[in-house]
Amino acid sequence: MQNENSQFEDQDDREIAALLKDYPMPQASADFFDRALVRATHEGSRRQRNRWLMTGFGSAVAAGLVLWMVGGFLLSSQDLPGVDPAVDSTIPGVTIALEEPHTVKLVFASVEALDTATLTVLLPEGIEISGFPGQREVTWETSLRAGKNLLPLKLIATSPYGGEVLATLRHDDRGRTFRLRVDVG
Amino acid sequence: MVNSTDTAFEKLVRPHFERLYRLAWRLTSQKAEAEDLFQELLIKAYGKLDDLVRIDAPGPWLARMMYNLFIDERRRHARRRLHTVNEGDLAGQGLDDLPGTDSPDWNNERRERIRTLHAALLRLSDEHRLIVLLHDTEGYKLDEIHDLTGVPIGTVKSRLHRARARLREILGENGTFSADPSC
Repeated sequence: MQNENSQFEDQDDREIAALLKDYPMPQASADFFDRALVRATHEGSRRQRNRWLMTGFGSAVAAGLVLWMVGGFLLSSQDLPGVDPAVDSTIPGVTIALEEPHTVKLVFASVEALDTATLTVLLPEGIEISGFPGQREVTWETSLRAGKNLLPLKLIATSPYGGEVLATLRHDDRGRTFRLRVDVG
Repeated sequence: MVNSTDTAFEKLVRPHFERLYRLAWRLTSQKAEAEDLFQELLIKAYGKLDDLVRIDAPGPWLARMMYNLFIDERRRHARRRLHTVNEGDLAGQGLDDLPGTDSPDWNNERRERIRTLHAALLRLSDEHRLIVLLHDTEGYKLDEIHDLTGVPIGTVKSRLHRARARLREILGENGTFSADPSC
């Protein structure tokens, strides 16, 4: 055993340590490392390409997305608080990089102020809201002003699969669900 | 097709494969999870090749990255799933995946002793099991464990001592070790 331990080890420690020295060392199967390396370079290259694409077009895409969402939500929510339970038939999408926070701005428009609206965000496996690690559902009460209400959601992809984020705004017994497709690239 | 970037990446990481693989196993205690963790580390490290080429000691840097990946994944897992495990079902779990345990030079007594040790290790807390395996089995020094986990050296020492004591206590329960209850 290392000299560094002599001052705090006792006989019992040494006996256990000797037993643990005999514990088998795991070894990979013959071609595991080669396969892992090939997968890493292929997957790593793919993610880098996607990142470069996002760098090149990111601003335009993000701006377009926000504008689209503003337009979409304004159109679809102009009858709030008499909200229509129907869900938008077209789904906006965003591509985010794995494990890199990405802020998505949701815009809710209401024709009048609402004091006690409830917003619930449902997340697919592998997509998280920053500050709420591991939570698939986040709910909070909020008030809406008359007009546009901006909700920035900082999303983090923790797996490469993506999915659909559902944001449901409820007031009294009425509600509207907004959908956002999140791809990870 | 292999390009120069891939070649450079391989040259930097391959020397550390064996040690990283063992670390993945010690962290997860399961072959499939260890290999997933190892794979995810490589993918993430490939994306940070620019950083990797500037680092003097890639081994510890990669090990830290693996440890952080593991901790992140474990936190997510703990929050998403609640499950119970019958400790009796753990005996021998994963041991057959370990190399050499079916070797002719492993007599029954030794195999049984290791099987009992393996089951006892699985009853330790994750923190205790990791530290005792890294230090006593893998030969990590205390400061290396500190660098890897961020746990202060004094805490590493006390955890190591407590982990051994707990292990001795567990082994004493089934007569494998003549444990002194005062330990």
